[in-house]
Amino acid sequence: MVEDFTTIITSLGFPSSEAFIALLVITLAVIALIAVIAALRPVLSLYPYTYPNARVRARQGRLLTDKQYSEILESQNIGEIKNYLRGIPEYAKYIDEFPLEKALDVQLAETYDIIARIAPDNSKDAFSFLMKKWDIRNIKSLIIAKEARLSADETMNLLVPFGELSDRLNTLVDTDNVEEILNGLEGTNYAPILEDALPQYKETGLILPLEASLDNYLLENLLRTAATPEDDNTALLHEYVGTMVDIANIKIILRAKTDGLKFEDIEPYMITKGYQVREWKLKELMESEDVPGVINGLEGTDYSPVLSDILNDYSVGDSIAPFETALDNYINEIAKRISLKNQFGIGPMIGFLNKKEKEIKNLKTIVRGKREPDLSATAIKEMLV
Amino acid sequence: MAELVLGTALAAIGAGLAVGMAGLGSGIGQGMAAAGSVGAVAEDEDMFARGLIFTALPETQAIYGFLIAILLMVFSGIMGEATDLPITAGLVAIGAGAAVGFAGLGSGMGQGITASSAAGAVVEDEDMFARGLIFTALSETQAIYGFLIAILLMVFGGILGG
Repeated sequence: MVEDFTTIITSLGFPSSEAFIALLVITLAVIALIAVIAALRPVLSLYPYTYPNARVRARQGRLLTDKQYSEILESQNIGEIKNYLRGIPEYAKYIDEFPLEKALDVQLAETYDIIARIAPDNSKDAFSFLMKKWDIRNIKSLIIAKEARLSADETMNLLVPFGELSDRLNTLVDTDNVEEILNGLEGTNYAPILEDALPQYKETGLILPLEASLDNYLLENLLRTAATPEDDNTALLHEYVGTMVDIANIKIILRAKTDGLKFEDIEPYMITKGYQVREWKLKELMESEDVPGVINGLEGTDYSPVLSDILNDYSVGDSIAPFETALDNYINEIAKRISLKNQFGIGPMIGFLNKKEKEIKNLKTIVRGKREPDLSATAIKEMLV
Repeated sequence: MAELVLGTALAAIGAGLAVGMAGLGSGIGQGMAAAGSVGAVAEDEDMFARGLIFTALPETQAIYGFLIAILLMVFSGIMGEATDLPITAGLVAIGAGAAVGFAGLGSGMGQGITASSAAGAVVEDEDMFARGLIFTALSETQAIYGFLIAILLMVFGGILGG
C-alpha cells in the first residue's frame, strides 16, 4: 500500500512523498484558517452583546404584566398605587424618596443610565448621548419653574437626579430667572445653545424657542452619533434613532399646519438632518398648505402607509391626535421588529428601552387617572398603550 | 528523545488539530455562555447555579478533542511505546483530528450562543430552564458526530486496534 501511495505521488510530479504531504498539510491549514475566520467573524460580533443582553432580559422579565396592570388599575387611590409599587424592587427604592411621578421618571432615568453603562463600545456613544435627554428635561423643567415662580422645593420635585448636570441641580434650583440658569450652565454644551435662542425668548416672552433649541440639539446630535453604522447592530440603532427624529419633525409640521403656520414660522424648530425625510423633503412638507398636503407629501416613505389610512377619516380642523398616536405606534413597532430581528445583538436593548418607556407612560396615565374623581378603571385602561 | 517517523509526526498534527480546534470552539462558546450568565447573575443572584450549568455545557467539545488527541498520541507512538506509524495512518490521524476539531469548533460556538441566550431567557422567565437546556444540548450533536467519525477513522484506519 505504501508503494502504491509513493507511485501515485511520483506520477503526480512530486519529488518525494514528504513534499506531497508538506503541500497537503499547508493546503489544509490554509483551508482551515479561512473556514475558522469565516465562522468566527459573525460570532465575535455577537460577543460584546451577551452580557448586556442577559441583564436587559432579566429586567424585561420584571416589566409589569397585564395582570399587574389590572391590579394597579383596581387601586382606590394614589396611596394604594404607591403600596403596590413598593412591592416591585425597581420602584421600591424611589417610591418613598420622591413624589410618585418623579419616582417613576427617576426609575426610567436609572434604566437609561444602566443601559448606557453596560452597552458595548460600538453603541455606547449613542446610548450615553441618550442620557442627555435627562439634562434637557431638567433644564426645561427649571425654565418652566422659573417662569411659573415655583419655590425651590417645588422646582426640585420636577428634576430628575440623573445626567451630567445632576451635580449642579442644587445650584440651578436657587437661580431666579433664565439668564441665571444660563450662567449656571456655563462650561456645558447647553449654555451656547440657550444663548443663541435667548434673544428670541426675550423678544417674544415665549419659552418655546429655548425648548426647541434644546430638543434639536439632542436629536440632531443623537442622529449624528448613530450615523456611521459599523455593522448590523449600529445600523439598526441608526434606523431607530433616525425614525425618532423623523417622527419628531413630522409631528411638529402637523401641529404647525393645524395652527396655520407658514414655512418661516416652522423652519427654526426643525431638525434638518432627517433619516427618511431629508432636508429637501422637509422643506416640501413645511411648504404644504394643510395636514392632508403634509401626509400626501410623505408618499414614498415608510410613514405614508401608516398615516394615509387615518387621512380618509380626517377633515380639516379635526384633531391630529390620531396621526400622532399612529406615529407613536409605528416607532413602537420599529423597536419590536428590531428586538425580534436582532435578538443576539442590539435588539433586546432597543426593545427593552421602548417597553420601559411605555410602562412608565402607562403608570403615569394610571396615576393621573386615579387623581380624577370620576374616571373609572375601565376608562383609564382604554388610555393605556 | 526518540526520533519520530513521518507517520507519527502526521498523527501529532492530527492530535493538535483535535484539541486545538475543539478547544477554540469550546472556549469561544464557553466565553459567550459565561458572559451571558454573569449578566444574569448580576440581575438575579439565584441564577448562579443555573448559569454555571449553561456555562459548563460548551466544555464537552474540548473534552472530545482532548480524548481523541490523547488516543492519537498513545497509539501513534508519541506517548508510551514507540511505534512506526505508516504515512497513510498518519494521514488518517489528521482526518480524525480534523473531524473532532472542526465539529467541536462549530458545535462549541453554536452551543455558546444558545447557552448565553438560554441564561437570558431563564433570568427573564424561570420556567424556561428545562427548555433552554434542551435547546442548548441540541448543538452537542455535531460534536458527537465528529467524535464518532474520529473514533471510526482511528479504528478502521489502522491506528486503534490495528
